[in-house]
Formats: sequence, C-alpha cells, structure tokens
Amino acid sequence: MTRSIALGALLASALLIAAAYLGALVADSVPVWASWALMLGTSTIMLAMTVLGASRRGAGVGKLAVPFAVMFAVLLVGFGAVLVMPAETPSSALWFGLPPRAAVVLYGIGTLPLFVLPFAYALTFESMTLSDADLERVRCVKQQRSGTAA
Amino acid sequence: MREAAAVGNGGVIQSTALPPLTQPVIVGVAVAYFAVVAAIGIWATRRTRTASDFFVAGQGIGLWALAIASMAATLSGFAFIGGPGLVYSVGIGAVFIVLPVSITNSMGAWVLAKRMRLLAEVRDMITVPDAIGARYRSPLAQGLAGLSILIAVVGYMATNVLALGLVIDAIFGVGLVWGIWIGTLITLAYSVSGGILAGVYTDLFQGGLMALASVLVFVYVLETGSGLSGISRTILASDPGFLGPWGKLTPLAALSFFFVFGLGSLGQPHVVHKFYMLRDPRRLKWYPLLMTAALFVTLLLYVGVGLAVKALVVNGTVPALGRADDATPLFLLRFTPLLLAALVFSGVAAAIMSTVNSFMSIGAAALTHDLPVALGRRVGNELRWGRIATVVISIVAALVAQASGTLVAFLGIFGWGLFASTLVPALAIGLNWQGATRAGAVASIATGLVVTLVFETLGYFRVYAFPAGVTVSALSLVASVLVFLAVSWLTRTSDGAAIDPDIRLVMEV
Repeated sequence: MTRSIALGALLASALLIAAAYLGALVADSVPVWASWALMLGTSTIMLAMTVLGASRRGAGVGKLAVPFAVMFAVLLVGFGAVLVMPAETPSSALWFGLPPRAAVVLYGIGTLPLFVLPFAYALTFESMTLSDADLERVRCVKQQRSGTAA
Repeated sequence: MREAAAVGNGGVIQSTALPPLTQPVIVGVAVAYFAVVAAIGIWATRRTRTASDFFVAGQGIGLWALAIASMAATLSGFAFIGGPGLVYSVGIGAVFIVLPVSITNSMGAWVLAKRMRLLAEVRDMITVPDAIGARYRSPLAQGLAGLSILIAVVGYMATNVLALGLVIDAIFGVGLVWGIWIGTLITLAYSVSGGILAGVYTDLFQGGLMALASVLVFVYVLETGSGLSGISRTILASDPGFLGPWGKLTPLAALSFFFVFGLGSLGQPHVVHKFYMLRDPRRLKWYPLLMTAALFVTLLLYVGVGLAVKALVVNGTVPALGRADDATPLFLLRFTPLLLAALVFSGVAAAIMSTVNSFMSIGAAALTHDLPVALGRRVGNELRWGRIATVVISIVAALVAQASGTLVAFLGIFGWGLFASTLVPALAIGLNWQGATRAGAVASIATGLVVTLVFETLGYFRVYAFPAGVTVSALSLVASVLVFLAVSWLTRTSDGAAIDPDIRLVMEV
C-alpha cells in the first residue's frame, strides 16, 4: 500500500514538474505558477523516492514516517516561504548572519535535514533497513544458487 | 549567466586558465601530494590480482573509505574553483546546485545503497549496468545503460582532464598540453595498475585533504569579512538581490538545479558503483551521516569564498574580477597563508583526479563488460582488458581535451544529465518497484539518451534555445521518468513477473 502511494506520488510529481516546464516553454514569459509547480513537484518527488526506497513489502515505513514528514515540511515550507517573503533591502534584518530568505534556504533546506535524516537512517537501520536475519536470508539464497550451479 | 546555464546542463569544470601559481611552497606541496598518490598506487597495485579487485576493490573496503571516496568522487574541481566563481557571479542562486546534499545521501542510502550492496552479495556484480541487466533479465537494457555511461564518461573525462591540465600548468608552469598529459599519466598510472582499489584509497587521502582545506579556508573567510553578518551587510548595502534566495537567477532556474542535482544524484554511476565495494553491508548504517557531513564541510569553501570575494569587491578592497573563476585563487593568494593556498590548489588537483579515476574505472567496465554482454559475448581476461580499456579511454579523453576546447565544452555539458536521465528510472525506481518492466527500462534509457543528445546538440549549435530556467537535463530526466512509468504500466501483464528469485528477495528485504 505504501509503495503504491509512493508510486502515485512519484507519477503526480513528475507530471507536475513536466507541467511547470511546459508552462515555461509555451508562454512568452515564465508564468508564476510554474515556479510553484516545480517547487511542489520537486519536494514531492524527493519524498516519494525516499518512501519508495525505505518501505518494505507489507510493512510500510513505520516510524520513519516522522522524519519523512519533517523533510517534506522543511522543503515545502522553506521553498514556499522564500517564494512569498518580502525581497531583501539594505536594512533587512539578519538571521544568523544572513537575510531571512537566504537563511531559510541555507539553514533550513540546506542544513536542517542533515540533523534528521542520517540519524533516522542509523537509528532504524536494524529494524527498518537491514537486520542480521535479512542478511542471512540473502546469503542463503546465494549459497543455494552456488549449489545449483555446482 | 553563461556559467549558470552550462552548470544546469551538466557539469561545469575549470575551463579557463588559472593565474600563475609557480611559487616554491605551492610547487613543493603539489610534489609532496603527487608522491603520496604514487605511494598509494604502488601499494594498491600489489593487492590487485583479479577483475573483482580491479573494478570493485574485491568488495573489501570499510565505511570511512566508502564515504570519503564517494564524497571525493562526487566533487570535481568545480567545488573549489568554478563553484565559488558562480556564487560570486550569481549569488545565493548558485547554492541550489549543492543544496540537495542535506537530503540526497540519505535518500540514496534508502533507495539504492542496501539493494546495490545486496545485489553484489547474491551475484558477481562489477558494474552499475550489471544491476540493470540482472533486475530486468535484459542484456539490451544493460548494454544501453553501458553505452550511455561510456558516452557521458568520455565527455566528463575530457573536461576534467582539461581542468587538471590547467591546474598543473598554473602550479608548475609547464604549458597546457604538458599539463594535460602529466595529469592524465599520473592518474592513469595508479588507475591502470591499482584499479579502483588505488582510486578508493587515493580518494580517501584526497577527500581528507579537500575537507581540511575547505574548513581552514572558511575560517579565513569569516575573519576577512568580519563574520557572516559583516559580509552580508556589505553586500546588502549595494546589491540586495545578490543575497536573495535565487540570487541573480530566476526561481525556475534555481529550483531546476535542486531538481536535477537532487533526484539526479541517484543516477551517478561513479558514486552508486561504490556501494558494491563495502566489505560488510551492515556498515551502511552510518554511511549517510558520514557522507553528508563530509560533503557539508567540504562545500563550506564553495559558499564562503564566493560571498567573501563579492564583499571584498563591494567594499573596494579588491577590484572587480575579470573572470569569476579567479575568485578562489585571488582569495587564497591574498587572504590566506601560502601553505594553506598550496593545500587548496593540491586539493583542486585531488578533486579532479579522484573524479577522473572513478570515470576511468566505470568507463573501462562499460567497454569491456557491459557492451560485450549486450552482444552476447564475454571478455576472456577482464583484468587485462580492463587495464587496456582504461588506457584507451584515458588517451581518447586527453586527445579530445587537447584537440578542441569547443568539443570539450560540448561533451562536458551533458554528462550529469545523461547519467541521471538514463539511470534514475531503470535503476533507482526499478530496484524498488516490482511492477517495473524490461520494456519500461529500455524505453526510459533510450528516452534519456535521445532527448539529451538531440536537444543538447540543437542547443549547442543554436538551432533552438530553451527559456531561462528550463534545462535539457531537467527535461530529459522528467521525460525518462514518465516514459518509464507509462511503458511499465502498459506492459505490466506481459513481463511484469520476469524477476529472478534472488533479485526479488533483494528487492523485498
């Protein structure tokens, strides 16, 4: 079920990205909605691919749903925010040394997932990615193949 | 903006001459660096006895070697020279090329790392197209993937070899042609004798050097600009748009970078291929953290130097640059100790050589393994022919680099996009979706090849130009994904079940 949803999201996001580029190709100037469509499509396709890779047959993504939701929120909120926030001026406030929109890009989208995704991968590795039992099953298949070949 | 357009279409490497760097300290550090590389090459040569050793390091490398070597192979000299120059030219928008790094390594770990490594557990995998061939039971799909890799590799290698020639010429003052051949021969010497084993361990050394140099330079960036706030205030006073989220790019162009360099990261064979080499698959646990942290640290120079030099130009400390690519050399030679500058210039050579080495390996494997498999043949002695193919590909790339700057520019612009559009659907989606079919894989690889080659050629000869922000790489990637999904869906009843039991197990665990 999870994989089906991820595949559906993958298809929908690819269509959205294609629509953004088609909109830019056919119009005299790039329409505003094309940037929104590309932002939404890109965020969704990254999430869909990650979910597709992490989900296991019949088990979904389990507790990984939380870090994946965080990643998706960071992308959507981050890109959405920089599309609607006011432009920089010489007197713009600085957030940790950068104007607000640049700070959202560099610290939010560019840094925040670093503190979530790799740790989620490591902490759920045995239970959600590869257990000793999984590895044993794979190695048994290899031995069976070797035996058959011999 | 030409640089930005070129980056969007593939990988931009150094293509213009660097200022002369022939100073004793810089030359001395470079010589010491090449001596270490040679020593690693000799050590690896003694351990390379089989084709498995040559192409996949005998499946015997550890986690640190995997992560740092992958980082070094990912970053070319562009991260040190072209990238900071691009930030100097277009501002924050240039950061969108490297922005996905916070996500891509974890995504790659979930999508590909485990499955690729387990494929190497059940079958004797030595190339990325091997995985495609096994997944779809299709020599045709494997051969097409190998052909795509070979085309992209020659172009990518030519641009990297040219960049290496420029760096060596700047350091030793030997001229561009000698620079190209010296760089090629040094890389070839350790690649052809020690294979990917030599490549991985030189990458480990080179990656460490790159990360160390980048962190130290960033400290000088902050000191020179009175901190990030000082740099921002200086730039905001004269050019606020430079520090806007898109810089001088359009939102569509910046977001296109994120899409192509984000999703496209799943189709870079010189990185994906390294998953086969890990000794114990359970060590993948900490791979995303190590790889992401290493890339993050190494890219500090990319962002920092571009912003710092812009601030220095704005406040009149240095004159405006004639060429954006001079940003890094100027900053290093004027604002950092000479020894650090020497380390970075060696780091640039290191970054380029590590990328070239990876391309030599996957190109040779495509030529001696994947293409013969597609034609129903097997090469008798893959180790010997692998070495011969490495030499042939390297000489072709060096001749192309030496012969024509125009040809190099043309070949170099579509490497990344060709890898992404031909490999992401068939490999990354296909290894995670049992409904994907052989016909879908073949159609998507063919789509990526045709769309990339046709539109890049039309664009290069100015027959047709896309609007700003629309790149061939992005279009071919999204087209190949859609074709893959559509054709797989249309052919799902005819060959959807054509997966071998061992491959099916790898896809299910």
